[in-house]
This record gives sequence, structure tokens and C-alpha cells, in this order.
Amino acid sequence: MNRDCTYHRPSTLAEAVDYLATKGGETTIIAGGTDVMVDLRAGKLERRNLLDVSRLDELRGIRLEGEKLVVGAAVTLAEIHRSPLLANHAPALQKCARNFASAQIRNKATIGGNVGHCSPCGDTIPPLVIHQAEMVCTGSSGQRRLPITEVATGAYRCQIARDEIITAFVLEPVGADFADFQKIGRRQALAISRMSMAAMLNQDQEGRITMLRLALGACTPTPCRLRLVEEFLLGKKPQPALLMQAGELLAEQMIAITGRRSSIIYKEPAVQGLFRRILSPVACHD
Amino acid sequence: MTEERYAVIGQSVLRKGAREKVLGAAVFAADIDLGRPLVLLARRSDHSHALIRQIDVAAALAIDGVKGVFTARDIPGVNLLGIINKDQPLLADDKVRSRADAVALVVAESQAVAEQAAEAISIDYQPLPALFEPLEALAEGAPPIHKKGNLLLTRVVRRGDVDSAFAAAASLIEKEYETGFIEHNYLEPDAGIGHVDADGTLVIYASTQNPHYDHKEVVGLLDLPDEKVRIIQAATGGGFGSKLDLNVQGFIGLALHHLGHLGRPVRYIYSREEAYLATSKRHPFRIRMTTACDRSGRLTAMRVRAVCNTGAYGSYGIAVASRAAVHATGPYAIDNVDVEVQCVYTNATYCGAMRGFGAPQMALAHESQIDLHAEELHIDPLAMRTMNALQVGATSSTGQILTASIGYRQCLEAVAPYYRQACDHWLPAPTLPHRRRGVGLGGMWYGIGNTGVQNPSTARIEMAPDGSVTLFTGCADIGQGSTTVLSQIAAEILGLSPEAIRMVVADTKYTTSAGATSASRQTYISGNAVANATRNLANVLLTEAVNRLRAPKNSLLFSGGEIVVASKPEVRVAMATLARRIHDKGGTLSWQGFFDPETVPLDPQTGEGVPYATYAFACHLAEVEVDTLTGEVHVARVVAAHDVGRAINPASVVGQICGGVAMGVGFALMEEFEQGRTESMKDYHIPTAADMPEVVPIIIEAAEPSGPFGAKGVGEPALIPTAPAIVNAISAALNRRIYALPASLERVLAASIDAGHYRRKER
Repeated sequence: MNRDCTYHRPSTLAEAVDYLATKGGETTIIAGGTDVMVDLRAGKLERRNLLDVSRLDELRGIRLEGEKLVVGAAVTLAEIHRSPLLANHAPALQKCARNFASAQIRNKATIGGNVGHCSPCGDTIPPLVIHQAEMVCTGSSGQRRLPITEVATGAYRCQIARDEIITAFVLEPVGADFADFQKIGRRQALAISRMSMAAMLNQDQEGRITMLRLALGACTPTPCRLRLVEEFLLGKKPQPALLMQAGELLAEQMIAITGRRSSIIYKEPAVQGLFRRILSPVACHD
Repeated sequence: MTEERYAVIGQSVLRKGAREKVLGAAVFAADIDLGRPLVLLARRSDHSHALIRQIDVAAALAIDGVKGVFTARDIPGVNLLGIINKDQPLLADDKVRSRADAVALVVAESQAVAEQAAEAISIDYQPLPALFEPLEALAEGAPPIHKKGNLLLTRVVRRGDVDSAFAAAASLIEKEYETGFIEHNYLEPDAGIGHVDADGTLVIYASTQNPHYDHKEVVGLLDLPDEKVRIIQAATGGGFGSKLDLNVQGFIGLALHHLGHLGRPVRYIYSREEAYLATSKRHPFRIRMTTACDRSGRLTAMRVRAVCNTGAYGSYGIAVASRAAVHATGPYAIDNVDVEVQCVYTNATYCGAMRGFGAPQMALAHESQIDLHAEELHIDPLAMRTMNALQVGATSSTGQILTASIGYRQCLEAVAPYYRQACDHWLPAPTLPHRRRGVGLGGMWYGIGNTGVQNPSTARIEMAPDGSVTLFTGCADIGQGSTTVLSQIAAEILGLSPEAIRMVVADTKYTTSAGATSASRQTYISGNAVANATRNLANVLLTEAVNRLRAPKNSLLFSGGEIVVASKPEVRVAMATLARRIHDKGGTLSWQGFFDPETVPLDPQTGEGVPYATYAFACHLAEVEVDTLTGEVHVARVVAAHDVGRAINPASVVGQICGGVAMGVGFALMEEFEQGRTESMKDYHIPTAADMPEVVPIIIEAAEPSGPFGAKGVGEPALIPTAPAIVNAISAALNRRIYALPASLERVLAASIDAGHYRRKER
């Protein structure tokens, strides 16, 4: 089993892009290394030229730019968890960082890596989906933006080209009274999500839903915005009976994508349970 | 009984080696530096069950950096291992019986070369049908995994007339329970390193629970004289039963035997993946249990038909089946018993010893049955347990009359105030609408030492003419603290501080056998051997002091390195003075100690006998919150009362209790080793700190007259009641019972849906 590799750490984004222009085909981009090192140790890493982008200034920082919230690709989960800016403008994203893996991994793992790895279980993805985030990447042919829902073409298959680097995520700041992220794992920490969900919602004075964004994680091969469920609930009061109905619709949507695999025996009721739980604070009881 | 006062016993003295571990200075097998080592790697089987037609190692040998490739035919001695029954080859001979089986051993310059060479070995198999379920393996016409067939053992315990008692029962409950494979998951994966010393002895340092057993097996494999093999236990990062089997030691011995002339040390360090693949697991059980009680709730009869899956080899399977059968009743007096436990070979990874030896599996069944009866008869579960608790004078299912140190009722009494408080205040307190709370109890008893067989320990203590003391023990301290406890026992008898006792531990050249560090036996059995040796030494010192101080023996005390006259403390003599005089007169200052608990082998037809000389008892209370929408379970608190006879080192006892609860939470909620699928900690979940409940440890001391200062054991008991307590709490929370472990997200949500909590109309 060959675990040899070469390692490069460019000092600017331009240098990194240059490097990828020639060696992109045999290079793996590494930031926190929490996924790459696992594959390397297991001998499963095919491209063993490592390009470390974790210290590029261009990939760091969390800031408001006009109407948008920008999160650098090399921002760690620990930084996300600590950010007052995100606590205000993207509470679901901030919350997903709280129970993400373990403290040691949160200190190293980056949001760019979590998204770029395209694991169906990536915890940052559902929050980014409800913020209608765009991923920014830079390559030899310049910069481009990609909606977060189009980053993955399948499980562990990323849209970005071999000569491109993820540099940032551009989010619509939360414009809602309610936003949350919840996950189900087999234990309280260091648990890969069995299921996760992010929701953002506004209600009028009577309690009718005026805006709803809902995203499901770990159930479908690629990130999933649940527009049919959103449309079903729009303009209605989220009474328990209605939420139960919406939950059934949600489960149907999920099964339409995944088909009926053996795990569905759990996931079908659990996705409804998680949905009812996440929206229980906004439920109308009149 | 008057409470004796001790200077060292009952003190939480600092654990020997604790400082080194905290500083990272403890030397584990993988840390030992003997110069540039050659690296070992086993080529494991590609099939779960197959005949081996041919093994071609030529391509592997041709790789640069490969020093040797060995197969079964290179083993000079007996290629069969096993502490109870010998059925496991070190290297597969004519067939493989599981994926864990090693077929060939590579010795190479580096890990990378070893991996390359292992893959280059070409093996021609003739696949056979693989059986993973015990019932398949027992079916008529099933292919035999071993020549003697697929049934390793049936252990029977029978007493009284079960059918008549069933006929007269007020409550009769029959249920089936199921538990799965569990991985020990010790912190330190198996490792060892060895070299050939100047006089041609193979010296092997290993992470092990039983160096003297390792020694016997390596000597047998290599057909060497005893003195040509020396096993030294390295610092060991946990074992939980898996390091009782020969893991790396035989491979290291074989490589040294053939390649010792190269003058290089050889080393084998399992990756976590190899430790998962190649070492033993906890036996899965399927238990059908029927119990009866009268109108008052008194248990009258029990029938058990259980099957445990020992995988490809016996390892400790016979002990597990026997202990499960003997422990089926739990800590309750039941007059009519009919228990049969079958231990069956399959093509799964072999199963062996794991913390509790079948008792944890059986406890799930007997503790669930108690709650089921309690519910049916509207009796409080705590009262039900108290009413049926074993007491002094009771007769166990094997016909053993229990004469002393039966502390189960005291454990129940200690838990009672917490139980009342939980029921009256915690349960009704408001929580989130989708959560339900439950309180559950779990009880257990646990026989200390091996089941109905001799399992002696020995020890030697030496006093030098200058009065310094060295204690030699074969007892492997794998992190549980036996070295400290044994030093406390010797120190108490000689009136010294434990730090003053120099310890020589688990080195087959200098120590005699203490038996395995298993079955919670070392404090009781090796503690007694140490006490025996030390009292022999103390006696000659007293004899000499009588002369010197002109006072009778019974008036003398050991204190602070001196012997003093109790009534006239100014009359005293230093032990060093006495030691010098004894030495100069040609007397002996080196004493061997021995202890073997009094047991009577179990009758094969009835199970009658005295399986253990003493038993530990415990009761846990678990408080849980269940999410009815997702199946998540949060264990809020575990109150754990343990009768340990005497806590020689209370801090160590508390440590064992907390560790046992952690492992119990894993067994209850999340641990599940799936054959052919689970590879490492990435897909096997053990609890993290965040999953740990608050633990309230309570030490009960129902002194054991035959124990050292009254001590019994706690290592395995700490784990056993936790899972039943949690399962009973979940079942109470949901009004639906979980019958199979783990109580995973899937099982708990299914129970919640079944009980109607999931679709409950929210107000």
C-alpha cells in the first residue's frame, strides 16, 4: 500500500492556481486534512500531490460584503462556531458547527473541505442550502460561482475542475424570525449524521408561513432543497396536523429520490419526526 | 463484626505507573526500542470457509526487503492454540474457518514491504459454504467447521421441578432476547516486539493479559524448552478479555525462531483495522427465557434455552457458555431451574472473553423478566428485586449454599433513595413534548474467578538483609490497577507504605504464574497469594522479634518499618535488623504464596457444583430520556452500587465503576460489530465523553471471609447491570420493551411508533 506523497504550500492564491494549471490532474487539495489524511492512510488517495491551501489569506475570514455574507473556504468549523457574525446572520450554520465531529476535528476541518468532499452527510451543506449560498471557485480561466445545490453531481463527486480552488461561500444572510439546524447521530459527538435538517421560516401575525426554506442532509446523494414541502406549507398556519401531513409529503419526496432501501424503515418515520421536531417551536396550537 | 482499622487498605493511594502514563512516559510494546526491527504482517484469509489447496510464497519472497515468509509447515511444534480447548492454528493448515484466520506470516524490512509481500502470496482455495448463524451450523447436514462438528459444548444447570412450578404460577412469562458481536476496542491495539538474547532465549515483550499462558503457548508452538522463551508484559492499554488470546506473541516467536540468526528484533503492531479483523469479539447470544412467580412476586422457576455463537474457534467460549448458564438466575433465589446453553461454531470471527463472559448477555434477559413480572403483578420493580434477592443461607441454582458476603440487598437499599427520588421528582418534571422519561433498574451477581475449575495464583515476596522488600507477581496489570492493589496488601501486612514495596510484575523469567487477568479474579485470588506469601515472611520476622523484644507474637505489631510491642510502643526493633539476623543465621527471607479458591467442578448432567468461592453483587439505576420522534436516547444519570467485599483502593473501584458504566452505555445503545462490514472505529460507535451520564458510584462492603482483607472484585461487575438498567428505563419510558441490543435509533423509534407515541396528537 503506497502512502508516499508530495506536499506544497503556496503563499498566494495566484501561486496555487498556477500550480494547479500544470499539476491539477495529479493534485489533491488539502486544507484541514480531516478527510484527505484518512484516505491517504487507507491507501485510497489516488492523486498524491498535496496542495495545502489552509493558510491562503484569500480563503480566510468571515465578513459582510454589502447584502451578502462571505465565508472563506479555509474557515474552520471552530471559527464558524465562534463567529458572532454568523450567530447573527446564519444561526443554523453556526449551530451545525457546534456538534460537528469533535473539538480536535473542528479545529482543523474547513467549510470548503466539508462542501468539496461532497459527502452526503456533510453537516454544513443543509445550512448553506437554506441560505441559498453560492460557492466561489478560482481557476486558470478565472472565477466562477456555482449554486450550492449544484456543487455535487453525486455522492463524493464534485463539480469543480481539477485546476480550480474553492475560495469562498456567499450566503444570503438570514432574513427570518426562525432558523435552525438539527441532526440525528448514533452518539452525541463524533457521529456521522444519520440525518440532518436545516430550516428557515417567517410567519405573519396570524402565524401563517410567509417564507420557508427546508434542506435535508444525509438522506439523499446530493443536497436537497424540499421545495414541494415548502410550497405545501406556504400561506398556511403550521398546526400539528398540518405539520404531520407535510412530514408525510417530505418522506414521499425523500423516497422518490432514494428509492426504498433497507435503511428506509428507519429514515421514513425519522425524517418526519425530525421535521416535526425542528418546526415544533413555530407550530400554531389554535 | 468489628471494623478493623487499616493503614493502607481502603486508602486511595496513587496508582503505580500513573505518573508515567500522564506524562506519556509509559513504555508500551510499540514504544520499545531494541534497534532496527523487522516488521511482521500476517496474510489473512480471503474466505470465511475454504480448504487450502496450495500456498505459493515465491513471489513474496522475491520482493526486495522480504526476510522470510512462513506458513503452517514452518511451525516446529504443535500448531494449535487455545486456553480451554485447543482448536485454533496460529497459521491455517489445511483450511480456513474465518476471515480472521492467518494463512502466512511475512517478515520484512518495513511495513510497506510487508504489505506488498502479503498481497503477493498466492493462495489456492477451495471455497466451502460459510455458516454465520448458530442455528444454521447446528442444522442436520451442515458442513462441519471442525472435525468434531459444530457444537462445542452444551452447559446444563438443572434443579427442582420446573414444569410443576410453571403449572402453579401466578405469572408466567416467556420471551426471547438477542445480543450481538461486540468489539473490545481497547485504547492500545495489540502489539509486541521480541529479540533473541545473549544466551539464545527468545524474549518477547507483549501487550497481554496473561504472560504465563503466552509462554506456554509459544513454547508449545516452537517445541522449545521452557527456559528458552521469556514473555514480558509491556505497559498495556486495556484488554477487556481480548488480550487473553495469543494475538501477536506466536508470530513474533515464530519469526525469531527462524530468523534469530539475523540479530534483528522483530515487531508486530496491529493497526486498528487488524485488531478489529483478527481478534476476538463478545459472543452474540439468543436467549429464550421463561420465568414463573407466585402471586406475591416470588420467583419460583426458570427455564432457559440459549445459544451463543463462538465463531470459528473456542477461545473462551466454553467459559462463556458455562458462566452464562450459572448466572442465568441473576442474583435471585429460584428453586426450580432448567438451563441449557449451547456454544456453537460458525464461520464468524472467533469470539472469546469479554468483560463479563456471558453474564452481561444473560443479565439483559433476567432483569427484563423481573420488570415484566413486576408490571404484570403490579409490584414495584425495586420491591420485586428485594423480595427475591439472594441472601446468606440461600442455595444457588448449582446447589451451592451461599454462606457469606451476599451484598445484593445492601446494593438495592443503597440505590433505593435515588430510585424514589427519580420516580417521585425527576420522572414527572416537565420536559420537551416529544420526549419521554423513564427510570430502570438492573441487578447482577458475578462469580469471582474461573467457573468450577482450579485457577490458582502464586506470588513471591523477598526481603533483602537491609530490610527492603520486593514483591514478584505474574499478575498482568492492564490498566485496572492490580499492581497497586497487590502492593497495598503486602504493605498493610508488613506495616510499610505501598511505595516501599518494589514490584516485579508479569515477567516469566522472574515471576511465577498468577493466572489470567480475567474473571475479576486478581484482587481476590492473586491478592490472597500475595497475602499468603507476605504473612509467611511476616511470621519469620515476628519469630525473630519475639527473641529480640522478649514479648509474645500476639503482642507485636508491624508499624513504619519496625516491629513494636503494641502495649509498649517504645519497645521496638527495625525490620532491617531482624532481616539481617535471619539472613546471617541462614534463614529464608524469600517466601512463595499460593491461593486457589475452593470450587467443585460442575456436574455435566446437572450443573451441580460450587463454581465460585465468592460472588460480587451490584445494582444500577438508570434515568433516561427518549426522543419519541427520532429514537435518540439520552442517559441522564446512572447510580451504581457495588458490593466489592472490601475496597482496597476506593479510587480504583470508582474508576472501574465509571469505566464499566461507559462500556455499558455502549453495549446498551450503540455498539454492534457486523461481520464482514465493520472495519474500524469509523463504523463502530463507542460512547464519547458527551454520551456519558452522570455516574453516582456507591461502594458496598459485605466482607468476604476468604478474601484478602475481605475483598472480592469489581472489574466485570461494573459493566453488567448498566445495559439492563438502561433497557428497562427505555421500556418504562415508552411502555414498550426492547428485546434486542443495541437499543439503536432504529429499534427505539420502532418501539415508540408501536406504542403510539410517534403519532400522538400534540396539544
